Amino acid sequence: MQSITQILTKEHTQCDQLFVDLEAHVAKTQWEKVQPGLVQFLAGMEHHFAEEEKILFPLFEERTGQKMGPTQVMRMEHMQMRQLFQQMRISVEQQNHEQFLGESETLLMLMRQHNAKEEQILYPMLEQVFSGEVDDLLVQMRTLPAEG
Amino acid sequence: MMNVANLALQQTPPILVPLRFFLTAPIFALFACGLGLYDGFSLFTGRWNLEVLALTHLITLGFISMVMMGAFLQLVTVLTGICFPRPQLMSVLLHGFLTLGTLCLALGFLIPQHNLVSMGWLSLSVAFGLFLLIAGYCLVKAATTPITIAMRLAILSLLITICLAIVLARVFSHGIELNMPEMLTNLHLVWGLIGWVSLLIIGIAYQVVPMFHVTPHYPQLLMKWLVPTLFLTILTWSIAYFLVNLNYLPHIVATSIGSFIGLELIIFALSTFYIHRKRLRKIPDVTLNFWHVGMMNLILSILIWYAGEILSLTAYPFFPMLLGILFLAGFILPIIQGTLYKIVPFLVWLHLQNQQMSTLKSVNLIPIPTMKQIIPYKMANYQFWVYLIGLVLLIAAIFWINLIYVAVAMLTFAFLFLGYNLYRAAWMYWVMSNKFTQ
Repeated sequence: MQSITQILTKEHTQCDQLFVDLEAHVAKTQWEKVQPGLVQFLAGMEHHFAEEEKILFPLFEERTGQKMGPTQVMRMEHMQMRQLFQQMRISVEQQNHEQFLGESETLLMLMRQHNAKEEQILYPMLEQVFSGEVDDLLVQMRTLPAEG
Repeated sequence: MMNVANLALQQTPPILVPLRFFLTAPIFALFACGLGLYDGFSLFTGRWNLEVLALTHLITLGFISMVMMGAFLQLVTVLTGICFPRPQLMSVLLHGFLTLGTLCLALGFLIPQHNLVSMGWLSLSVAFGLFLLIAGYCLVKAATTPITIAMRLAILSLLITICLAIVLARVFSHGIELNMPEMLTNLHLVWGLIGWVSLLIIGIAYQVVPMFHVTPHYPQLLMKWLVPTLFLTILTWSIAYFLVNLNYLPHIVATSIGSFIGLELIIFALSTFYIHRKRLRKIPDVTLNFWHVGMMNLILSILIWYAGEILSLTAYPFFPMLLGILFLAGFILPIIQGTLYKIVPFLVWLHLQNQQMSTLKSVNLIPIPTMKQIIPYKMANYQFWVYLIGLVLLIAAIFWINLIYVAVAMLTFAFLFLGYNLYRAAWMYWVMSNKFTQ
């Protein structure tokens, strides 16, 4: 049985892969590959955010009584990433690769340090708080409806 | 229960906390270049020349330690989640004393003036003492990870470096004739450059190399053992080297132990190349270029040191100069410049983004420049090439002294260019930030 950290870290890795593929397509201005790549990457990110924001974070906040703690920082960083997603969508529409590469560079830094904080600090905390009910949570995460 | 407050909301210290260090560093590099332009020929007459001492400290304190302190204050909060008290005040004090101390020390060597050297080391002792307190406070509370272990051992090495520096400065100020200065100086520079600087670079590399270039992590075994082993090897070497100088041990013992320090650094450089090769992100990147140059020169400096020991070249005056240039200008300076090109634009972006979010005027959002608008890729890349040409010329100048002025001129241009790129980023921050507060 995989742990929460293992599963969520694996999702980070999958999203990283989708990100670098997308960025490489933009760098080579292969716009026909960019559009599906962007859709796939954003779907992966939003699914991952939803698992955290709709299932794991609220439960963690309820158990610990920490509403303004680490989960709030993570939500704020999700918001910052979503702003960049929006800008990247516009750059793809306008086929502006230089603008996109500036945004993707910024997103990468934000995303990688966000992931590191989650993997090194937050997920181990989640595991400690949720010990014993991981199986149930994983079922909930898997059955989460896809985001639009 | 774990410390849930670990990830505080106000995790990022104010931008000036690290930025004032990053913006001062190029100025000190330019002072060093100025010294080279003023009297380049005499710089190469040997490592004991007082101008060489002044120049070395302008670079190691004014550029290298300056950036490392700034980066440390920024990273320690992000990596460990622990905030130190009064970050603004601490940063002003650290920066002030480090700047003053470095200037006094360098001028004291140049004039030469014993009182200035004393003022220099006193001021530097305050700066580093305070820094050790802050770093100690954060690292004692932090969870033990390979990165915090590296930071702790780097800090401990810094303490040893400073103690040796104080002894050396007193020897200098009192004009005491000892047969020890060479030994003490070598211990001082090994603890400074390999203990403090390289251990911190390795620790930071564990975090930033995978982060910047989407590489796998360094191998677990390496992350666990390399830094502690390196620290212990330096310690063992120091004791052996001390005993060799008292004629209790043959020379070969210290050299053999020392060769392991080289081997361990080569392992670090090769693993960095290895994980860089496995990086997922293949688009051109100036930080990557700087890191490659740095790692190649690290390996080269160690191989040349080995060759020098085997071929008995170490007594030639050019030899320590060559090693010093390869290690400082070839390895450490490129790593620092490459890393600045990621940290500075990201910090500018992050602070602007945070300001925008906190002003809550989301109706009329001002677009925040991206990292590549804050420091354009082309500008960073040109600067990289200028620096690289300057470095190659500097190495060549060891063998053909007439090249020295061209080399230093090129490096002056490189640091002016670096300064321009960094100050331009800071200026963009202030302009945008004012728009938010209006």
